[in-house]
Formats: sequence, C-alpha cells, structure tokens
Amino acid sequence: MEVDIAEALRYLGIGHSPPEDLRRQTAELARMLTARVAPRYVCRIFPLEFGEGGIRLAQTEAVLTGRTAHVMLAQCRQAAVLCCTLGAEFEALLRARQARDMAQAAILDACGSALVEAGCDAAQEELARRCPQSYFTDRFSPGYGDLPLELQRPICALLDTPRRVGVQVTEHLLLNPGKSVTAIVGLSDQPQAARIRGCGFCKLNQSCPYRKEGTTCGA
Amino acid sequence: MELDCLYKNLILWDGAMGTVLQQRGLPPGGKPELLNFTDPGQLRGIFQEYIQAGAQILCANTFGANALKLAGTGYTVEQVVSAAVSIAKEAAAGTGVKISLDLGPLGELLEPLGTLSFERAYDLFREVALAGERAGADLVSIETMTDLYEAKAALLAVKENTALPVFVTMSFEQNGRTFTGCTIPSMARTLEGLGADAIGLNCSLGPDLLAPLLEELCKHTRLPVIAKPNAGLPDPATGAYGMGPEEFVQALLPCLEAGVTIFGGCCGTSPEYIRALAEALKGKAPGPRTPPANSFVCSPAHPLPLTGVRVIGERINPTGKKRLQQALLEGDLDYVLDLAVQQEDAGAHILDVNVGYPGVNEAELLPRAVKKIQSAVSLPLQLDSSDPAALEAALRVYNGKAVVNSVNGDPEVLGRILPLVKKYGAAVVGLTLDEGGIPQTARARLDIARRILDAALELGIPREDVWMDCLTLTVSAQQEQAAETLKAVRLVREELGLQTVLGVSNISFGLPNRPRVTETFLIQALEAGLTLPILNPGLTGLMDAIAAFRVLSGEDAGCRDYVARFAGTPAAPPAKSGGGLLTLEDAVIRGLKADAARLAREALETGDGVALVEERLIPALDTVGADYEAGRAFLPQLLSAAQAAQAVFEAVRAALDRTGGAPVKKGRFVIATVQGDIHDIGKNIVKTILENYGYGAIDLGRDVPPETILETVRRERISLVGLSALMTTTLPAMEETVRLLRTLPSPPVIFVGGAVVTEEYARHMGADYYARDARASVDIAREVFS
Repeated sequence: MEVDIAEALRYLGIGHSPPEDLRRQTAELARMLTARVAPRYVCRIFPLEFGEGGIRLAQTEAVLTGRTAHVMLAQCRQAAVLCCTLGAEFEALLRARQARDMAQAAILDACGSALVEAGCDAAQEELARRCPQSYFTDRFSPGYGDLPLELQRPICALLDTPRRVGVQVTEHLLLNPGKSVTAIVGLSDQPQAARIRGCGFCKLNQSCPYRKEGTTCGA
Repeated sequence: MELDCLYKNLILWDGAMGTVLQQRGLPPGGKPELLNFTDPGQLRGIFQEYIQAGAQILCANTFGANALKLAGTGYTVEQVVSAAVSIAKEAAAGTGVKISLDLGPLGELLEPLGTLSFERAYDLFREVALAGERAGADLVSIETMTDLYEAKAALLAVKENTALPVFVTMSFEQNGRTFTGCTIPSMARTLEGLGADAIGLNCSLGPDLLAPLLEELCKHTRLPVIAKPNAGLPDPATGAYGMGPEEFVQALLPCLEAGVTIFGGCCGTSPEYIRALAEALKGKAPGPRTPPANSFVCSPAHPLPLTGVRVIGERINPTGKKRLQQALLEGDLDYVLDLAVQQEDAGAHILDVNVGYPGVNEAELLPRAVKKIQSAVSLPLQLDSSDPAALEAALRVYNGKAVVNSVNGDPEVLGRILPLVKKYGAAVVGLTLDEGGIPQTARARLDIARRILDAALELGIPREDVWMDCLTLTVSAQQEQAAETLKAVRLVREELGLQTVLGVSNISFGLPNRPRVTETFLIQALEAGLTLPILNPGLTGLMDAIAAFRVLSGEDAGCRDYVARFAGTPAAPPAKSGGGLLTLEDAVIRGLKADAARLAREALETGDGVALVEERLIPALDTVGADYEAGRAFLPQLLSAAQAAQAVFEAVRAALDRTGGAPVKKGRFVIATVQGDIHDIGKNIVKTILENYGYGAIDLGRDVPPETILETVRRERISLVGLSALMTTTLPAMEETVRLLRTLPSPPVIFVGGAVVTEEYARHMGADYYARDARASVDIAREVFS
C-alpha cells in the first residue's frame, strides 16, 4: 500500500509547492513506513432499520442519530461499518523516531495519517468487489457533522475490534492505537451524489490556493 | 489441581462461549458476562454440552469480568465472578471436570501504547483473581492477550495472590507477532520465566494457520503447550466462522505431533468441535519435545538468543560521567533515553542500565528509567544495581526477559538477589569475587563461578540464565592479572559452558592511547571465549574489531554483516561541509546538527556561552521562526532548526561544566497533554521548540490529571504552563485544569493549544494565551520570562 505524498505534505501544512528536500524526506519516510507497517482493517455490512430515534444497525445496539446520518443514508438499505488501524507497530515506530528526530517524527506522523486513509480506501475497494451491484455513499465517521462520537464504543464492540485488529476505545472515546479510524459507508441501489468529499462541500472553496491554480487538493 | 499429568496426558478444554451465545441470540457487541445473572440456565446448558462432548476443563464466563469492563453495568467483579464460577461448578457437579477462572484483556491499552499503568493493570487483575479463588475456581486461564506486558501483569497478580495453577495463552497474527509486536520466543521465555504452568495460543486464526506458530512455540519452552484456535476466519459480511469440526480437527492434529498436549477451541467453535477433537485424540500420544537450552533475553518485539558475540552497551552508568549524574539528580530521563537511543543506533545488543548515584532514590528511579527506555528502544536491558529493592521494582515493570547485574560469591548477596532473579525469570551476571575480594588466580575465580552456578541451580534458575563476569583489572596497576582474567574466561567457558561477560575498558585505565590496549584486550578475550563484552558501542574501533572477529570465528556466516558494515562506506569522509563557509547561524537555520555542534565548540574556544546563545543562536532560530510564520518554512524545518540548536546548547553546557559556570536556563515551564487525551506529538513538538530556545521543560506526559499539574506547579514554583488537548471529549479536562490552577494564590500563566482548541475557547476557559502553533508558544514564553 502506498502513502499519498501530497496528502501527507498537506497534513504538515505544506501547500502546493513543497520544498524539494521536504518532499524527498517525506517520500523516504513514507517508503520506510510502508515497508514496516501495513494497515489492518475489519469491515461488516449491516441492514439498516429506520426508526424514530435514528437509524439502527440491525440487531445491534448501535443507533446512528442526527441529521448527518439521515442525509447520508437516506437512500440506503444497508451500511458497511469499518475500522482501520496502523496498530501498535506505528506507535512504536513513531515513539522511536520522536526519541531521535522530532522533525522526522512530525513527517512520519503525517505519513501515518495518509496511510490509514489509504487503508480505508483499500477496505472500501474490497467492499466494492464484494458488492458489485451497490452504489456507495461518501465515507463518514463518528464526530463528523452531528454524528455522535459516542458511536465509537458500539461500533468497535460490534466489529470486535480489540480482538480483530487490536483497537480499543478509551473512556474519553479516543481510538487507541492513535492512527485508527472507524467509518460508515452507505450501500444503495441507486447512484449516490458526493455529500462530503469534493470542493462543493469544502469551507475553503472560495479561498483555496489549489483552486486558484486550477487544481484541487484531492481530498 | 495436579499438574504433572499435563506433560504426558492430553487435556481437553471447552470451546467458545461468546460466539455460541451469539449463535443463540446474543447481539454482536453484547456483554456475555451479564448472562450470568439474566440467563444462567443457558450458560449451564452450554457447559453441560461441552462436558458431554468430552471437555475436562470449563472456562467460567468471566472473560470481561474486570472492573474496567464492568463499569456502568451495575455489577461488581465479586458478583460476576462468583455467579459465573458457581454456574460452571453446578454444570460440572459430580463429573470431576475442572473450572477455570477466565481472564481476558482489560479493554484498555497499557503504557506506553495506552495510558493504563502496569501497576493499575496488576490491581485490576488481582481483584478478579482473588474473587475467582474465593468462588472456588480450580485454576486460572489468562487468554487472548496481545500485549506481553498485560499478560505479565495478570500472571503476577494471580501468582502473588492465589495458590491456583495458571495457564496463559496469547493471540498471534499469521506473521508470528501479536498486535503489539510480541514474538513467539519472547512470549515463551518471558512467561515461562515468570512461572506460568502452561502456555499457548488462542483465538485470531484457525488451526491451519496457528499450527506453524504452535510448532515454533513448542521449540521455545519447556512448559506444556496449549492450542485453542478459532474455527477458521470469520466471514467479512456476516462474522460467521467458516471451518467445520472435521476440518478443524484435521488441521489441529499436526500440533499433537509437535508436542502440544492441551487442546480446546476459541471463536466459532462449539460442543461439536470439542466432541470431534475428543474422538480424534483418543488413544493418541503427543510427539517428543526438544526443550530450548540456549541463553536468551528479550523485549517483546526483540528476542535475542545468545548464539555468538553480543555487545552490552555500558553508557547508562553515572560513574565518572558528570552530565549523566546531573540528569539523574534532576530526574531527567530524556537524557537517559538519548544515551539508550545512541547505543541502539551504534549496534549494541543489550543495554546496561545503572542509575545508582548518591542523592538518587534508585528504587524509584530505576523502574522509571526502564519504562522510559522501553517506550522507544526495543533492546533487552541489563538491570544494574546492588540494591534489591531497586532491582525488584525494575524487574517488575520490565517488559520481557531481563538480565540482572549482578551477584557475586558472597552467600549473603546470593541470598538477597537470586530469589528475585528466579521469581521474575531473569538471567543473572555473577561476578567471580566474594566477601574475601577478587581472587588472584583464574582457578580460584572458577571456583567462585561454580559456587554461584550451584546456588542458582538450587533455586531452579536454569543453567543458561547464569552468566559469569571474570573481572577485568587495570593492567597498569596489576599487570599479571590480565592473563589471569583471560584464563578465567577460558575456564568458565570450557568447564562450565556459561555465557561470559567482561567490561573491557577498565583494562587500559591510566595508560596513554587507551583504545589500542582496550581493543587488543578485547580481541584476546573474545578468543578466550568472551561472549558478552560490555563496552561503549560508540567507540567504532571496538565495534569494528568485533565485526572482524565474528568473520574469523565463522559466526558471521558468509561475512554478510561485515560486508554490510563496511561496503560502500567511504574511507574517512572529509569533516568540513558547506565549503568551509558555513556559519553557526546557517547550520542552525538549515538544521545541520553535527555542523552546528562543531561550529559551537569552535566558537566557545574563544567566546562566551551566554553570548553565543543570545547573540547568535536565538537570532538564527528567530529567522526560521519568522519564515515559518510567513509560510516560507514548515514545521519539519522549524523542528530541524530546534534540534540543531539543541546541539549548540549541549556544547555550551559541556563548556560550562569545564569552566564551572551555571547552566543556561531561562525559566522553567510545565507542559502536559490533559487528562483523558492520549495524543502527544503536538505537545512534544512544543516542548522541543521551547527547550531549544533555552527554556527548561517539566514534561508531565499525556493523560495527566489536573491535580498532578497543580501539584507540580506548586512544588516547583512554575510560572508558565502549557496544556494540549486534541479531542472535544477532553476539553472539559483542560478547562478543569485551568480552573484548578487559577485557585493558586499566584497562578501561573497558562497557554493552551491543540487541534480542537480555538482562540475563543481558550479565552472562555480562562487561559491566558492561545498558542495556534509551536512557534507561537515561543513568543508567549518570551513575554512571561522577559
């Protein structure tokens, strides 16, 4: 799996024309990272039950409340729930790097963020192979819009993430290891418009330096 | 429970409980422990099915019955454990089937990955273990562990608080590692050393994929081995496990040949699987086992079999090292970690850790140093102290199998230290001296070595865990002793077959051109049979000599390591860079650490340290800072410059040490990631930047309770505090910390930052400053300390 270097640089706050030595360092650390760490993910599909209090993942205690879930899943009968993590290996690598070189550690941290996203993409591609008839919504996560962060707990429980991928939810609803993501993707039998991704949904679309140059950031 | 039978007889455990309950209606994510109250009949029924299938041990339904996981359920550990064990006992009444208390992971990650401390984990497990023994469990099974540290906490908690036999199984991925990176040999040797009665693997994989790992496990332990695989892998869409009972059994049988004697099932198995296993195992005997005999130490991720020359790094020892002495007195473990990192990078295999110095509370500092080093360095450690309390505290928190340095032939010392070595499963270095001093002849040293070995064997410490140090004496003072030491090494090797340890650098003390003598002695000692030289791995000459020796002795097969070490390295590259025009300012701005240090040393030969910092270093850092603010430089460049500045500070510090001046500290600040938050890279970045502007950091780490911050500020009279929070869920903890600090008679200046903090929110919670980035914190510190 590859790290998207431009994405990693963006996480570092480095815009559209990164200094060459930073781009090179980032590419080197990304190479080291992907040689040592592969994202691990677990994904399950649940039928959706639409009710008064929200959308329930069938036969579980997970209820997706709020407007975000309703907008995103309005045309879906099923949703895939996934968790992707870089695991303890990444944390160990990052701690070891922090003890040696904070500058490189900051870059490695950004590469990790990009890699965990790449892992989610891979999980979603696998999902697409498994459900060739379905159309997918954008991926969204607890904490996005008004989807409650509290969902981390039931989602990790029903995916059995501690056993399957080694991810725990802390008392304050943080995922541990740090580079971990949970996400929901709606499955529909009709094509789904982009609702999150793309310039149309971005707060910066009037002032974006990428758009001024006629490109996009790619997120 | 009789344990002898475990080696010869086959024992059959039960299968899964959780997934069977799910098949019978428990929703995914539900808590099986609550069924002990809501549906005991169903549990009893499943146990009876397992007994009828042939199970001889039942796991009580207590996998998640610890205080962390039960929080909010309305039940106590005592209630759940007592109910669960009773249900299993009722089901087994009159059958002779044994009941095992089941201990699963706590549900929160331990330090350094998480924030749950080893000590707290121990307490949580102790509570369950005590309840289990009271409830009448026959044994304890610690299972599905992926963190060796957590398994150790559980194992110690059971062994120190109950009289029950204890089995430990861990979960591995196909690559032979757990989620936390633990290897099979590390698991096997550590848990056996700590006194587990049987060990094995459970969960994560089906028997086909687990079999090779079980075979490997059998080669690394003398203990009975347990196999409890899943019924294959779960279907990604439904979560159902794919392997049927017949296929399961067929895939598991090779493990019997490898010597596994205890069988059962994990996720996806059911009474059917256990029945099929019982039938297949009937009349069969396990294959022969070949127990390991090589010496070994490890951390979880770094197993180190001692099958050749291995270097023990000596630099974490304050004797004669002023900078380290100062760091230890200040409790500055970052410096200790630096020394560890440098030695790992220089090629050491084991690190000696000695923090004993007048004024230092060793029993408190040694375990802290161990935790700090293990957070970022994976090398096995040699715990170096003569204080039994310090050794025990460090052995307790060490993750893996350590070595203790040292005992000697004095019966009193042996009596004090060896029981600790035995209890924690460590290796031990024996010094060949006793209450009468260091014998002058090799033969007499061999006699002491023999006495130490006998004392260790008598306590049940395996022979391969006893290493001998025949003691290097200074050749300029006692010239004839060099030959005696070498002879003693040879005798210990030939007559006792033990690992030999020797600190080599003492030999040349008081002589000119010391490296020449040390290197020659090292080579002689290696030839005499030295396997574990203790030295400074930063001395390239010594490391080169060892690389060459390993070629000549045949240990470095195909000269691979030697070639890798030297091929492609240009002979002595020229030291200058930047065409000789590089200034100190340039070096800092461009983040060239080595050049910055060199140029600082040159400047300090004629100039003053304080002026160097104020007139050259700080302006250079400001240039980078201004570029960063203007978007011309970025975070990694800001940090590189800070690290180059650190090198300049070290040079200034060394110069001041020589001249006896006061260290440059412009003011101290406390920095912490607030309670509940585990993200700390942002906090570490701010710390790096501020430190390299000359401010002194008291870094309290992450997940820091408000009270700890308050207490530190009060005790240390701190006037600046930085707080970081990354999540909306931890902002209340930040607010509470600010509130608490404001109750002080003269509260410190508080700045806050982190992904979710805004200027407005900072003001709202009563912080003095909002730091939008690391650079902004510098301006704040300047204002406060001006």
